[in-house]
Amino acid sequence: MTTGGPPLLRGTGLAKIYGNLVALDDTDFSVDPGEVRALIGSNGAGKSTLIKILTGAVMPTRGSVEISGEIAPLGDPSEMIRRGVACIYQHSNLAPAMSALDNIYLGRQPTRRFGFVDTRRQRLKAEELLAHHGIDIDLDARVGTLPTVKQKEVEILKALALDARVILMDEPTGWLAGADVVRLHDTIRMLKARGVGIVYISHVLDEIFAVCDTVTIMRDGRVVAESAVAEIDRPRLVHLMVGEKLARESADAALHQRRPRGTGAVRLSARGLGKSGVFADVSFDLHAGEIFCLTGLIGSRRTELVRTLFGSDRFDSGMLEIDGRRVAPRTPLDGMSLGIGFVPEDRHREGLMLDMNVTENLAMATLGRHCRGPFLSRSGMVRAGRKAIEDLSVQPRDGSKVVRLLSGGNQQKVLVGKWLSRSPRILILDEPTVGVDVGAKAEIYAILRREREQGAAILIVSSDLEEVMTVADRIGVMVSGRLAAVHDAGTAAMADIVREIGGGSA
Amino acid sequence: MSERGLSLPAALSGHVVQNALPVAVAVIIAIFALTEPAFLSTDNLVGIARQVAIIGIMAVCMTFVIMTGGVDLSVGPVLALAGLAAFYSLDAGFPLPVVILAGLSVGAVVGLANGLIVAFLQLPPIIVTLAMLSMVRGTALIVGGPEQHLIRNEPGYSFIGTGSMMGLPVSVYIFAAVAVFMILVQRRTPLGLLVAAIGDNERAARLSGHRTRLTKTLVYVICGLGAALAGIIQSSQVHTALATYGPFGTELDVIAAVVLGGTSIMGGNGSIARTLLGVFFLGILNNGMNILNVPIDIQLIAKGAIIVAALAIAARRG
Amino acid sequence: MRSASAALALFFAATILLFSLSAPRFASASTVENLMSGFSFVAILAMGQAFPILVRGIDLSIGAIVGLVGMIVFDLSLILHVPGYLILPLALFAGALAGALNGVLVVHLRLQPFIATLATLAAYRGLTYAISGRQLVPGLTTTPIRDPWLTGIETYFDVGRWLGLSRLVNMPWVPLSFVIMLAVFAVLQVLLTSTRFGRDIYATGGNHEAARLAGIRVNGVIITAYALAGLCAAIAALIMVARFTTATEALGAGMELTAIAAAVIGGVSLAGGVGAMFGPALGAFLLGAILIGLTLQGVPQFVQQIITGAILLAAVGYDRLLSVRRQRRLSAPSTAAT
Repeated sequence: MTTGGPPLLRGTGLAKIYGNLVALDDTDFSVDPGEVRALIGSNGAGKSTLIKILTGAVMPTRGSVEISGEIAPLGDPSEMIRRGVACIYQHSNLAPAMSALDNIYLGRQPTRRFGFVDTRRQRLKAEELLAHHGIDIDLDARVGTLPTVKQKEVEILKALALDARVILMDEPTGWLAGADVVRLHDTIRMLKARGVGIVYISHVLDEIFAVCDTVTIMRDGRVVAESAVAEIDRPRLVHLMVGEKLARESADAALHQRRPRGTGAVRLSARGLGKSGVFADVSFDLHAGEIFCLTGLIGSRRTELVRTLFGSDRFDSGMLEIDGRRVAPRTPLDGMSLGIGFVPEDRHREGLMLDMNVTENLAMATLGRHCRGPFLSRSGMVRAGRKAIEDLSVQPRDGSKVVRLLSGGNQQKVLVGKWLSRSPRILILDEPTVGVDVGAKAEIYAILRREREQGAAILIVSSDLEEVMTVADRIGVMVSGRLAAVHDAGTAAMADIVREIGGGSA
Repeated sequence: MSERGLSLPAALSGHVVQNALPVAVAVIIAIFALTEPAFLSTDNLVGIARQVAIIGIMAVCMTFVIMTGGVDLSVGPVLALAGLAAFYSLDAGFPLPVVILAGLSVGAVVGLANGLIVAFLQLPPIIVTLAMLSMVRGTALIVGGPEQHLIRNEPGYSFIGTGSMMGLPVSVYIFAAVAVFMILVQRRTPLGLLVAAIGDNERAARLSGHRTRLTKTLVYVICGLGAALAGIIQSSQVHTALATYGPFGTELDVIAAVVLGGTSIMGGNGSIARTLLGVFFLGILNNGMNILNVPIDIQLIAKGAIIVAALAIAARRG
Repeated sequence: MRSASAALALFFAATILLFSLSAPRFASASTVENLMSGFSFVAILAMGQAFPILVRGIDLSIGAIVGLVGMIVFDLSLILHVPGYLILPLALFAGALAGALNGVLVVHLRLQPFIATLATLAAYRGLTYAISGRQLVPGLTTTPIRDPWLTGIETYFDVGRWLGLSRLVNMPWVPLSFVIMLAVFAVLQVLLTSTRFGRDIYATGGNHEAARLAGIRVNGVIITAYALAGLCAAIAALIMVARFTTATEALGAGMELTAIAAAVIGGVSLAGGVGAMFGPALGAFLLGAILIGLTLQGVPQFVQQIITGAILLAAVGYDRLLSVRRQRRLSAPSTAAT
C-alpha cells in the first residue's frame, strides 16, 4: 500500500492542552497515498482533537504538520483545504438554508470574472460527481429540509468535490443505515484506488476490518499501537483500545460484586416508550441499588430517551411508571419532584454555570432548602458546599472558586454533587466522564457505587465501553432509537456488545 | 460576587480590570476638581446626586434584565407614559398613593408584556423592546398629545421630585432606597442568584428545576417599574408631564451605566452595586463636561467611545 | 424563500386592495407617487440592513449614518463648495466607512452587534453635531443646497406621457429615487444570489463554524456586510438631502426601526442566513402603503407608531414560528425509520 517518498500527511509531536486537561499528548501520525487508516479509541482518547488539528480547526499547543513533506501552516482551515485536506466532521457542518449544490461547494464555488458564481459549471461538476459516485441528491433542495442521511451524503460530496488528497472522516457512518454504509465503503475504495489518503474514525470494528488497511489505536491522548489491519485480530484490537486497565478494572468491579436488579425493587419502569421519529418501543426496568448502562453509537437516541424520563423532553407514546405510579413528567421540575436527578451530557452547555462559583453551583438544585423566609442563607449554602466538596473531594477545596477554572473532572464532580445534594432516588447520568481524566473517572465511579449501595437507582448513558464494563450491573444496547438488547454485565461478552452496538446482531 | 482566586498574572490583570471603574471615577473627579474648583462644592455634588437619580433608578432596575442576557430599550417612553398617568390621576383628584400606583402600573404592564413575549414566545429582546418603544411612545402621544401638562398646586406630588430632607433632595433618598433594596435582592434572595444563573446558562438553570421563564418575565417587570418610578420623579421635578420625555437615547444612557458597571451584555456576571458606580461615573462625566462647557456633540462622541472601550476591555477578559 | 416572497407580495396586494376600497383617494396616482417618493429610500435602508442581519448581526446606527452623511454633504457643498460630482462618491465612501467601522467593532473587539451599533449610533450622531455646518456657520441654516448634481436626485419622470398612457389614465410621475432604488435592488440582488461573496454571506450567517472551516474569511465577510449597510444609508441620505435641499442634525433619526421592521417583514431571518433583497424592499413599501392608507383614513400619526411597532412584533413572531418549524422538520425525519 505504501509507496516511497514522504507520507501524504504527517503530524509530528502534536499536543493540545486545554487548561489542566491534556487532550493530546505528543502524538505522531501519518497517512500515505492510497492508504485507509483507521483511527480508533474510546471517547476522550484524543481522536477528535487530532483530527481538528490536522484540518486546521484547532491550533495545537505543540507540534508540526507536513503535507507531502512540506510544512503546513497550523490553525488555518483555508490553508489546509488549499493543500487538499478535507474533513467530514461528526457534527453537521452545513448551512441549512442553502441548497445542497451550494453546500457542496461551500466557500469554493467556481467563479467567472468579477466573482460571479459559474452556476452552470458548478452544476455540471456536481452532477458529474453524483453520477461518478452513484449518489442521488436533489441539488436544489435546501439542506435543512433533507433527511439526516442525505445531509451526511452532502458532507461526503463536499469533501469529494475538493479533489482532496486526504479525507478525514470522523465517524462518518454514525447516522447511516446498513446499505448506505456499504455504499460509503465502495466510495472509499474508489478514492483509495485514485491514491487519496483516508483517515477513518469509527467505533464499529466491523467497518474497520471491512475497509481499512492500517489502524492507529489511541488511549488517553496518546497513540498506544499501530498495525496493519491484516496483522491484528478483533480481541487484540479491543484489548488495545480499552487497555490493560480494563482487565484490572473488571476484576475490581467483580470484587465490588455486580448486582443486576439491585435490591429487586423496581424504581422506574418503561413500557413501549416512544417519541415519533426519534425512538420507539423502549421497554426496561430500573431497579433500586443497581447501575444500568445504556450504550450505543452516537445518534442512537439514548440521550433523547433519558431526557424524556426526566421531563426536559416529552415522550408521546408508551407508559412510564415510577415507584409503581404512572407518570408523565413535563418539565424538569416534575422530574425532580419524582425524585429524579439528571446530569446532562454537555456540562458546559447544560450542566454548569461556568462563571459562578462552586458553592453556588452545588446549591443550584436545592436553593429552596437554603431559604429563610424570602432570604437566602449564604452561610447555609457555604456549609452545605463545604461538606459536598469534602465528600466528593473536589480540588481545590475552595467553594469560592469559579467553576470555569476547575479541571474537567472536578467540574463533573460539582455537577454530580449538585444532584447528590438532593439525595435522588433515581439518578440519570448522560456520558458522565467525557473529557475527564483517569483519576477523576475512578473517583466518580466510586461515588456512583456508593450511591448504589445506599439504594439509588442509577441509569448511565455511555459510549465508552471501558466505562460500561467497569461500572455497569446491567447493560442495554441501543441501536437507531430501539433498545436492541439487555445483558447482565457479569456474563456479557465484550465482543457481543461491540457487535450489537454496530447493529450487527439479530 | 465573592473573591475569585486566579493564578498570579491572571489575578493581577483581573484586578486591574475589576478596579478600572473605581479608579476611573477617582481620576475624573481629580481632573474636574483641579480644573474647576466649583466642581467639589457641596451644591454641585448634591446636584450630581440629584441629576443621576432618574437614570440611576432605571439602571439599577435594568441590571437584572441585562444579567439574564436581555435588554430593555423601551424605558424612555415608559418614563413619559408613567408621568402622564400620574398627571391624569392627579387631575382626576385621586389621593397621592393612588397616583403613584397609577404611574407604577404603567411600568408593570409594559414590563409584563415585554417579559411574557421575551420569555414565553422566545423572541429576541432587542426587537421586542424596540417595537414596544414605538408602541408605548405612540400610546403616550395619544394619551397626552404633543403639549405639556403642567402639574400645579400639588404639594404632595411635587415633594417627590423637588422636596428635600436634611439638605438632600427626596429623589436622592428614593434612589438610595431603590438601590439598597435591589442590592439586598441580589445578595440576599434566591432571585439574585437565579438571575445570574439564567444569564450564565439558561438551559442548566431550567434543568436544575428553576422556573426560568417566570423569572425572566419578573425581571422585565422590575425594569418597567424602575422606568415608571423614574417617570414619576421626573414629572414631579419639572412640574410637567410630556409625552416626549425620555427621548431616544435615554435607554442608551441606562444601558451604558449598567454595562460600565461590568455587567456582561451576554448575561451572567453583574452587580447592582457596580452599576451604581457606572451611574456615578457617567453622571460625574456629564456634570464635569457641562461645567467645563464641553459642547454636547463632543459629549455624545465621548460617551460612545467610553462605552466601546469599556466593552472591549470586558470582551478581552471573557 | 420564493414562497415567502410570494406570500408577502400577496399580502401587499391585499393591503392595497383593502385600502383602495376603504380609504378615500387611496387608489390614485398621487398615492403611488407618494409611496415611490416617500419610501424608496426606506427600501434602500431596509436592503442595506438585511446584510448585517443575514450574518446574524444588526445595525442600529444606520439612522445616525444617514444623519452623518447628510451633514457631510451639507458641509462639502455649502461651506467648502466642493462640486457635486465629487461629493457623491465622497458621501458614499463616508457611509461605507462608518458601516465598516461597525463591522470592525463587532469582529475585532468582539462586541455584541446591537451594543456596538448602539454606541456608534451615539458617536455618529455626536459627530454630526460636531461637524454641523448649521452651527459652524449659522448664516447657512436657511441656504438651500443648489448643486445640480445633488438636487438632480430629486427629479420626476413623466413616464405616463412617454408611454402615452396619460391620455387614458392619470399616471404617477416616477421619482428618480425610485429608479435608484431599483438599481440598488438589482445590484445587491445579483451580488447576493450570483456571486461568491453572496454565497459566503449565506454560509457565514447560516453556519458560522462551517463557513470558517470551509476556508471562508468570515471576518471580512461580516465587515463587508456592515459596510454595505452603511453604503445604503449613504444613498438614502443623498436622496433625503436632495428632497429637503438641506440637512439637519436629526436627519434619519429613528430610521433604523423602520428598516429593521421592513427587513424582518421581508423574510430576513434574525437567526441569520435566510433572506434576499426582494422581501426587504417590498416590506418597506408595505409599511409605506399601510401608513399612507391609515393617514388617508384619518388615523392619527401616533396610532401609526403603535401599528408600526405591532407590525414589527408580528413579523419577528412569524419569523420565530418559521424557524421553529424549520427545526422540527430538521429533527423529525431521521433514524428510527427502520
